[in-house]
Amino acid sequence: MRMHALCFALLCSGTAAAQAPAPAAPPPGQTVSFVACPIYRDTDAGRKSGCWLADDPNGSRFDITFGPVKPQVGRMVAVEGVTTDAATEPSTPCGGAVLTPVRIAVLPESCARTIIPAEAHPGRPSKSPPELLKPAHEPRTLPPPPYDTRVFTIYFEHGRDFLIYQYAEVIIEKIVLYAKASGAKRVSIEGFAATEPWSVPSARGNWTLREPARLARRRAEMVAEALRRLGVPEDSLNVSWQAAATASAELEGGKLPESSKRRVVITVTP
Amino acid sequence: MPSVLRRVALCLTLVVTSCDDPAATERPATTYANALVDADGGAAPAHESKRIWRAGGAEPFPRSLSYPAGTGTITTLNVAGPTPTDGHPFFTPLGANGRACITCHQPADGMSLSARTAAQIWEESGADDPLFAAIDGSNCPSLPQSRASSHSLVLEKGLFRIPRPWPPLAADGEPIEPEFTLEVVRDPTGCNLDRRHGLYSARPMVSVYRRPRPAANLKYVTGIGFSFDPKNGLPLVLDRETGEPTSGNLLSDVRERTLRGQARDALLAHIELHAEPSAAQLDAIIAFETQLFTAQSSDPRAGDLTSDGALGGPEALAQAPAARLQSAAMNPIWGEFTPWANLPAATSGMDPTREFRESVARGAKLFATRWFLVSDSAGITDTGFGNPVRNSCAFCHNMLHSGMDVAPGQVDLGTTNLPHANEQPDLPLFRLTCHLDAEPHPHLGRVVYTHDPGYALTTGKCIDIGKITAQNMRGLSGRAPYFVNGSAKTLADVVTYYDERYTLELTDQEKMDLQHLLEVL
Repeated sequence: MRMHALCFALLCSGTAAAQAPAPAAPPPGQTVSFVACPIYRDTDAGRKSGCWLADDPNGSRFDITFGPVKPQVGRMVAVEGVTTDAATEPSTPCGGAVLTPVRIAVLPESCARTIIPAEAHPGRPSKSPPELLKPAHEPRTLPPPPYDTRVFTIYFEHGRDFLIYQYAEVIIEKIVLYAKASGAKRVSIEGFAATEPWSVPSARGNWTLREPARLARRRAEMVAEALRRLGVPEDSLNVSWQAAATASAELEGGKLPESSKRRVVITVTP
Repeated sequence: MPSVLRRVALCLTLVVTSCDDPAATERPATTYANALVDADGGAAPAHESKRIWRAGGAEPFPRSLSYPAGTGTITTLNVAGPTPTDGHPFFTPLGANGRACITCHQPADGMSLSARTAAQIWEESGADDPLFAAIDGSNCPSLPQSRASSHSLVLEKGLFRIPRPWPPLAADGEPIEPEFTLEVVRDPTGCNLDRRHGLYSARPMVSVYRRPRPAANLKYVTGIGFSFDPKNGLPLVLDRETGEPTSGNLLSDVRERTLRGQARDALLAHIELHAEPSAAQLDAIIAFETQLFTAQSSDPRAGDLTSDGALGGPEALAQAPAARLQSAAMNPIWGEFTPWANLPAATSGMDPTREFRESVARGAKLFATRWFLVSDSAGITDTGFGNPVRNSCAFCHNMLHSGMDVAPGQVDLGTTNLPHANEQPDLPLFRLTCHLDAEPHPHLGRVVYTHDPGYALTTGKCIDIGKITAQNMRGLSGRAPYFVNGSAKTLADVVTYYDERYTLELTDQEKMDLQHLLEVL
């Protein structure tokens, strides 16, 4: 099947979604979590400018575009995000109450592929993260002393050990440079997985999300492999893992408790 | 006129004083190039006299070689200057089948091999030519080799058989347990079910059919843009021998990661060298191929591709730094032709040259900034960008001057996987079924029909089914047909494929602008 036909079908199926209830106005600063079928709004403000929306079980439509990982049409997503004040984060660009910070997890379960037209929403021009990995040809500067024990944390998507693009590699390079500058004797890598059940509401009832314990190890080993490939000596690495992760206040001031459980903590000891 | 006679005639009239003159190789590069231009009256120097280089020849490979290609001329620049070929391992048949590297990497074809050249060789030499060696220059070694039909994929599409071990082997030679089962649904060449060469033979092999990649512009192929590969979330894979990072942009399926590994693999597999190549042989091959830069250099519709501020042709390609990421706003890809967007006003009436140049410049701008929804393309739309994601051709073809992917570039854009692949009844069709405990293909699920599993034949992973490394885009006019399996006969077909695959809704003028751009790369 050619994409002409496919996209036509998608846009048609989006018409109904476009007529979903108008977004409610949840109080700002509240953490919300739910599972939904994501909606792509085809706004065009240049590259990577489309909008991602998701409806919570109460019919409120949220703009989840600010997450570091974007959804995939046709795949359910788990959303954990913080509501904002419409005065500072208006719903105009995408047509949903903005969640930020926000994390989404693409789930294996399929759902309707929904793409809706811009409907006068302008979208937002893509903004690069504040820190990006520099090209290989640009020289790196080693961090200056003092070199004390330093802790770094990398967060993951639900159910995955994938190092998130334009996020994780920046932290990993910082670890490598700090380990090199400080002559680190030990780099401890501790992986965590959210094995305790997380009950999340959806329009189809509650979902229970739970990560397998082995994911804690896979995440730790993924980070260890990244450090190895970037020259951190094997004999300095100490890899461990544990399930039943507890929430950490380090991620967004504790406003994303479930997302904060999916992490690897790296401790560099000079 | 028969092709042989035509070649002789052209040789006498055009370039006998340059390419066939031993003294010519002693001249400084610019003088040599000028001699070619002078011989041809200043336009599109053509090397028809020696369009096809044969293994075992003794003629030096000059600093610059130009040949008709598409509507214009392609030039291959040998930046180290004239290279003796007598005994050189790139030009010498080292193995059992009489081939050398040059057999399938022809300067007239941008150091690849076009279907046109394959057909010309068949016309001149027939089945006995080393190009049609049974091992991979025929649809299957077990077929009667004297018949043209046994070589139809080489003759019609420039496709060579690539037998991949099944199950896949890791870099250390250990078998990888694949995440999927592989069944042969259709086997038009007979090779995948062949008793000796097939999937159920004593040495199980999966035969796929692919175009040879250019042995030129290699600093772009091996250059490192960033230390990470965002497609698999890890830093670049290190070379087992040197410990250095590898670009991941070599070969369609990354079965080799270094030029050394590729040269060795090619000598053993394609040239049938029945012993390990020496270090000196590998060094000489790598040294030669890395000094070659190929690109379209002129087009009768545009004139010299370096005129009026443009930076087409191989000289600029040789001088530019490799592996630099384009930026649509600051430093867009194919900025080589941006000056043609602002040509001086025409002095009078129609100016076809100006119109063509402006078309090329529009094509370059479209390539970098025509936003469309990139969807269902594993390697891109499953790596955090979202599916779909609005972007342009330069999202994947983002390396300045080459159009490769800095990332590196294994993506399933649908050229081999159904349902997006063009109809190809002459190619095998496989059904791959992912195991329940494996992560399925992100957009096609657990059962995938494909003409070529691509990168998955190297990794054994479902998520890699149909991923093919992005190609170097220079010198395209010399090496039709296109895509890994030759499924696009012309550059117009390439544009049409993308237009339909990603619903670009290009106007006829926009299609033509993009085609013109591709023709002058």
